[in-house]
Amino acid sequence: MSERVQKKAWVFIVPSIFLILVFVFYPMVQALITSFQTGIGADLEFEGIANYRRMLTDGTFRKALFNTLIFLIIQVPIMILLALAISSVLNDKRLKFRGLFRTAIFLPCVTSLVSYSIIFKSLFATDGFINVCLMKLNLIDNPITWITDPFWAKVLIIIAITWRWTGYNMVFYLAGLQGIDASVYEAADLDGANAFQRFFHITLPLLKPVILFTTINSTIGTLQLFDEPMNITNGGPANSTITISMYIYNLLFKYQPNFGYAAAISYVIVILIVILSMIQFKAGDDK
Amino acid sequence: MRIKPARILTYLFLIIAAFVSVFPLIWMMIAATNRSVDIMKGTLIPGTYFLENLKSVLNSNLGYVNAFKNSLWIAVVTTTLAMLVSSAAGYAFGVYRSKPKKAAFNVILLSMMVPFAALMVPLFRLFSRFSSIPGLKWIALNTSGAVIIISIATAFLIFFFRQNTAAFPKELIEAARLDGLSEYRIFFKIYMPTMNATYAAAIVVTFMTSWNNYLWPLIALQSEDKRTLPLIISAMGSSYTPDYGMIMTAIVISTIPTALIFFFMQKQFVAGMTGAVKG
Amino acid sequence: MRKKLLSLLLTGAVLIGLTGCGTKEEDKGGASKDPDTITIWAWDEAFNIPAANAAAELYKKDHEDVKIKVVTMAQNDIVAKLNTSLSSKTYDGLPDIVLIEDYRIQGYLNAYPDEFADLSSVVSAGDFAPYKTGVNQIGGNMYGVPFDSGVAALFYRKDLIEQAGYKESDMQDLTWDKYIEIGKAVKEKCGVDWLTLDPSDLGQLRMMMQSAGAWYTDKNGKVSIDKNDALASAIGVYQELMNAGFVKQVANWDQFVGAFNNGDVATVFTGCWIVPSIKSAENQSGKWAVASFPRMSNVASSVNASSIGGAGWYVLKNTGHEKAAVDFLGKTFGSSAELMYQLGSEISLIPTLKAADDYSSKDDFFGGQDVVADLINWTAKVPTVNYGQSTYAVEDIMTEAMQEILNGADVNKTLAAYQTTIESAVAQ
Repeated sequence: MSERVQKKAWVFIVPSIFLILVFVFYPMVQALITSFQTGIGADLEFEGIANYRRMLTDGTFRKALFNTLIFLIIQVPIMILLALAISSVLNDKRLKFRGLFRTAIFLPCVTSLVSYSIIFKSLFATDGFINVCLMKLNLIDNPITWITDPFWAKVLIIIAITWRWTGYNMVFYLAGLQGIDASVYEAADLDGANAFQRFFHITLPLLKPVILFTTINSTIGTLQLFDEPMNITNGGPANSTITISMYIYNLLFKYQPNFGYAAAISYVIVILIVILSMIQFKAGDDK
Repeated sequence: MRIKPARILTYLFLIIAAFVSVFPLIWMMIAATNRSVDIMKGTLIPGTYFLENLKSVLNSNLGYVNAFKNSLWIAVVTTTLAMLVSSAAGYAFGVYRSKPKKAAFNVILLSMMVPFAALMVPLFRLFSRFSSIPGLKWIALNTSGAVIIISIATAFLIFFFRQNTAAFPKELIEAARLDGLSEYRIFFKIYMPTMNATYAAAIVVTFMTSWNNYLWPLIALQSEDKRTLPLIISAMGSSYTPDYGMIMTAIVISTIPTALIFFFMQKQFVAGMTGAVKG
Repeated sequence: MRKKLLSLLLTGAVLIGLTGCGTKEEDKGGASKDPDTITIWAWDEAFNIPAANAAAELYKKDHEDVKIKVVTMAQNDIVAKLNTSLSSKTYDGLPDIVLIEDYRIQGYLNAYPDEFADLSSVVSAGDFAPYKTGVNQIGGNMYGVPFDSGVAALFYRKDLIEQAGYKESDMQDLTWDKYIEIGKAVKEKCGVDWLTLDPSDLGQLRMMMQSAGAWYTDKNGKVSIDKNDALASAIGVYQELMNAGFVKQVANWDQFVGAFNNGDVATVFTGCWIVPSIKSAENQSGKWAVASFPRMSNVASSVNASSIGGAGWYVLKNTGHEKAAVDFLGKTFGSSAELMYQLGSEISLIPTLKAADDYSSKDDFFGGQDVVADLINWTAKVPTVNYGQSTYAVEDIMTEAMQEILNGADVNKTLAAYQTTIESAVAQ
């Protein structure tokens, strides 16, 4: 590509870079500085790495980090696979009512957090609908204490995030699938490929850039997970579903405001995300 | 015609997925027709209180209609500008690859990794200075500009467009250059119309994100006539004795715009790229 | 298609802009820049918002020129905005008067010492129920005007205890042992659960502690978990309740309210602000009664009174209307018994202002019992404790200790271990 064209291309990029530098990087640097300060409210003092040292002995932080990573490791793959499966099914031209199915499956991420957390809490209550069904089906003998048991509360959060964000990820795949030429599938059909072969040999490789995008996006989303634990379990029982983002929020607003420590914890998230993204890029980038 | 068992399974899977997805929404709609007490008891039968609930929503001194307008204005402007600015950057990162651009892209990616809560206070301090700078009054605190400006260029969208550009046939660009089209016209005349599915997805999620945006509008918008829907709904729910009938009605109405946008945009998700590519 | 969409969006944007939203954009300044408007923030459309409005009406009678604006905002949102603005020392858009929960206020007064106005000139501690003014003073100066009483009480279903062979007189000034005994009888004879417990909400523990004048922190605000007899006893009571076989477990507020509205439980012990929620089940009218909060028999200092929740009004010093706002509070919530009577009848407020402690009102829902007079009477007996600066921070960790204990860990050993954990967590 010619030098001139390469230079011209910056025109496309400069507005974005400018906005991001001012409205994200400037605050990022400020937050980094704050992370080296301690104190409450507006009365901050420079204390070096005191906040970072504090994390080493902070049990709640350890719990939050552990929970967040558990959510990440278990939930993201489930959701990505589910969204891929749904979108490749929905991409089939011969399927009827596609528009209806697409819209239905997308709707969870539009449904307001307030209402769906109320519903989840009541569906998954000890004497709620889900337990009643499971018991009628003889899958369990005793009701599961979804919200008050540390293990099941985590499961509930994973179910809730998956429910809410699968349709959202589906949208990206549906869009990405439009970039795949229909004739590729037609050729495969002529060769007698079955649905699974089509999926693994055509869809997956061609969607790789979009899958990378959704994986990184979901990784970031999960590492910054806040809404579900805040509204469904309130981090409980006994902090067993508290996430790092929720802990940051508590440090800023629920407890006595500790801006320095909250900023320091934020940077731990940043470092985690950077490492994970680098791994994902290595594994999945096209170039 | 013989119906394959695999087909039946597919439909069964989709019907279950669709039902599970839609159930809470239906519950919400039913709740919007009931009184708070009945909702608390977990009723699943449509009631007759919808109009009453609607009246409470409209009559509450929180200014629901005004908030709806504010939200709509912010979401529409944000989406429109973001589609121009972020997609251009994503396109350029995908098509004109070079070392410095790769570096710039990595820097941009980094910006999506910091939890927003950590940026909020510094961002607030930054914006609080704008009101005394004449040229920047339109993005000062307490203007919709302050909410819009930070969501126009997002790493998320730039990244999304860059990834989707991989599927964009480079031959089209070459052909257009031979025809004498400038780089900018190629973007507007060739790329934009070809990538309609990508834009549709981007519009849906950008509108939705803006529509549901909570933390920054909460901090940036100060006077109550500037408040957006999520802030109003949050205020409705903070009562010791929340009126769930009213809240659910308010939420149902606020869900409609995003659902509509998706419904119209999803028509772009039809198999195969459209006209421009094959033609 | 793509272009059509874009042009549609653009047209839409322009249209909305023209029809109004856009034209309002120019900065008229936040509410508080308005020279003569006092802005008040509170969070409950059914409770403290009408209270602020009533106070505004009252004040305007003698101060026609003063404009008062009352804004509803979720409590968490108020907290987020206050913290962001105060820590940046940016006062645009902040209110002049704000309602803050009792549990949080010491944290604020300490974190932002120069941001709240001293109200000593218009109110004095002696004018209010003693436990309320313990939290809003710093160095003997009053920084807040107490608002609602959070006095705790035992609400019970008279019809059910009578079925089980007990009378109203048996419910007065209970100990927890007696409460449990009656509960077992009710569960056996009526088949109805006795109470709800939410293992992730330690409110019940807090009430029991305060009934003995104790808290997670001692009189000086220092963390006091280890060797805190009241806390250990409260945990003991909690365990007994949990194991008595008459508890309906709930997991959140909605289920808690749903349980007694549905008639699933026979008693509720919590703050008096629950009254409207209890009364929302109209079909249960006449079946309820109220008794004082049970006491712990093995803690000498425990009395039949406690508190949960409750809030006070505070004036922000640097938003430009300090004087007017202080005057407003002094003449309304700070002194007007008349206002309290009005709020008592309109929003079931239990006042903490002593001048209004003769208020009474018989309530048919509670079988004609003078609930208000009783609640006011108990309010005066609530032991004063120092909530310290971080009740919520302590409690979030305490939920972990509670869980270990409920799973069988030794109470005293666990509390001793958590003393250090919590101390380091609240250290700044």
